[in-house]
Amino acid sequence: MFKTKILTVTACAFGLTACGAGYSPDKSIDRGIFDKKHLSQLQAGIWVDPNGCDHWIIDDGVEGYLSARLDKYGKPVCSGVAQPTYTVGDFKGGSRLADPN
Amino acid sequence: MLNTISRGLRLFAGAMIAATFVFQASAADAQSISQGGRDSGQYIPTIWVDPDGCEHWAMDDGAEGYMTPHVSRQGIPVCRRGNVCGVMNTDQFFKTNSYRISPQGHARLAQFFQSTGAISYIISGHTDNRASDEYNMSLSLNRANAVAAVAAQTGARIADVRGYGERMPAAANNTSAGMAQNRRVEIICIR
Repeated sequence: MFKTKILTVTACAFGLTACGAGYSPDKSIDRGIFDKKHLSQLQAGIWVDPNGCDHWIIDDGVEGYLSARLDKYGKPVCSGVAQPTYTVGDFKGGSRLADPN
Repeated sequence: MLNTISRGLRLFAGAMIAATFVFQASAADAQSISQGGRDSGQYIPTIWVDPDGCEHWAMDDGAEGYMTPHVSRQGIPVCRRGNVCGVMNTDQFFKTNSYRISPQGHARLAQFFQSTGAISYIISGHTDNRASDEYNMSLSLNRANAVAAVAAQTGARIADVRGYGERMPAAANNTSAGMAQNRRVEIICIR
């Protein structure tokens, strides 16, 4: 019994098995050391896809987010705010964490 | 010496058996074997509201971020506010069954587009439920196109022009007031 416990703890330390209850199912928070925040605080810009339609783009330190911009009828918004494949807005402004891009 | 090796082997075998039990125990509540079984498989998202006022599901899973629009089962986005910036009551701009804009209507519309200054506009026509669905689809598109033509003359950029006929009512069609509310051209301003 004691021996099994030691082995479990060792396996846990080497990342071989579950330590405690596992990862939290709550994914609503950026737990980053330098850029910790609730995800409602994310700062977006626009990325225009090759068809000319808008997407919300967010570079939040080590996380990247992309989600379609839709109008009230659920159709893509293709505003022409920029040429296809270009971005608009300071979408990297929400995190102080420096990453290469 | 031999005894020591033998004892070592026995210990190793014991460790392997114990490890098997441990892996089985953790596999029961793990979603996958990756991340050492620590991923329990449940991902509870939060809501991020975009600058248009519409909701998106957002999740941060350590060094990964995920996001997708929050839509109803009918595919309609869940929004806290809309960006409809103008609703034209078509009775004031068109005669019944017509899609020709009156000169006064033309001037009012041109003034609207000149003063609004959005990046672009989505223009959608709507009708009440009199006449056939097919007729209303065509009338509403013709009216939306007439409005878009005025917008284009002022230099405004048009993102899309649509006719929804009677399919997207703003009010119930069982009163004359409701029907009048449904006879409209909606202008969405993209900023």
